[in-house]
Amino acid sequence: MAKVNCNSVKIRGIATAVPTKVVEVTSFYDQFGQEVVDNFIGMTGVKSFHITPEEQTASDLCYVAARELLKSQHVDPQEIGILIFVSQTPDYRLPATACVLQHRLNLPKNCMAFDINLGCSGWVYGISVVSSLLESTDMGKALLLFGDTSVKTASPMDRSSIMLFGEAGSATLIEKKESAESGIFGEYQTDGSHFKTIIIPSGAFRNRNGSHERVMWGDENIRSDYDGYMNGTDTFTFTISEIPRQIKKFLQERDETPENYDALLLHQANLFILKQISKKTKFPMDKIPISLDRYGNTSGTSIPLTICDAYGGKGNGKMRILADGFGVGLSWGVLSFQLDTQGVLPPILTDESFDDGGVSHE
Amino acid sequence: MDTAKKIELLEDMFDMESGELDVNAKLSELDEWDSMAKLSLIVLMDDECGKQLTGDDIKTFETVQDIINFMG
Repeated sequence: MAKVNCNSVKIRGIATAVPTKVVEVTSFYDQFGQEVVDNFIGMTGVKSFHITPEEQTASDLCYVAARELLKSQHVDPQEIGILIFVSQTPDYRLPATACVLQHRLNLPKNCMAFDINLGCSGWVYGISVVSSLLESTDMGKALLLFGDTSVKTASPMDRSSIMLFGEAGSATLIEKKESAESGIFGEYQTDGSHFKTIIIPSGAFRNRNGSHERVMWGDENIRSDYDGYMNGTDTFTFTISEIPRQIKKFLQERDETPENYDALLLHQANLFILKQISKKTKFPMDKIPISLDRYGNTSGTSIPLTICDAYGGKGNGKMRILADGFGVGLSWGVLSFQLDTQGVLPPILTDESFDDGGVSHE
Repeated sequence: MDTAKKIELLEDMFDMESGELDVNAKLSELDEWDSMAKLSLIVLMDDECGKQLTGDDIKTFETVQDIINFMG
């Protein structure tokens, strides 16, 4: 496994922003039938989720989260030397959304800013990328922003996606530390042979002439080549075998057990998957916080969102946390870190969006 | 694993009484064969048989016997 050890950095704070509009899963009774919807709720655990208005993007949510996080930590934006935006729903095909955010957040010109294209594993990957960069540069503070507006990638007639995903954006402040507390340690894996398991086939440069017509696929859902597709069964098979294995191996290599951790933060894929991982890794469910019941599967934001939901403003003190993000790629990673929950804000509700003023055709 | 043990595991998974499962039953005619059962079967294959069951594998199953054969 690809290991990343960063001994001289720490996560100082986390904030997450969600749009104000709430969709109840039971509101799909008329469209899909009560039995289908009730079974869906029973299996996934998703009861409601938040969605953005048309004009609000993932970067808008991350922007609000970052602004409020810096304010609460009394950090001047000019101190930020690295900004990474991880998303699969950027503002533009180009430029990188991180460049726009560098400007909007008033970060200095002496700032590295770039995007990473990853989904459910993106936050745990991003933490190690940012941490490694901090350690190897003279920069002292960095922002990792993760956001996705996955509902906008789903066909409204695809019951496997349209009731599952929620939208959110997060900001994590990472800095070089001076104290002796534990650093940030991660292990990462990829299996690109399953790249079609979760995919939007068209809209980029591979299948430029895919059909825009929404038709019935083999899983009896209606979507076009420009809509998101997830093979739920294969995703499930991958998750319940690879993720417990990764967690158990990581603990074994570090000579640790679930007892060494206060919480296991899992990507909020669905409740049935979380229960399976709990059973196989021997992390009891009361150490695995859940936010998907109210926020759905928010892609890579689901780990920081669950942290903010469970610990934001609740005075939990310092915690030892193990996190595992997994999904599209297929890509997965496990991360161990210490978190002073004083730096964690409760979820922020916002409908703010950025008016880019349009692009002149002159 | 002998066939009796496999049937026992499947009956347990389907929440059936002992002896209730007909190995020749067509899955398409079995009320219990829903999406949740398919996920439970993936777990069972992983836990009990050490096998990774994919969506394509599941599509090839027509009868309970096909599942038993896959269990090895």
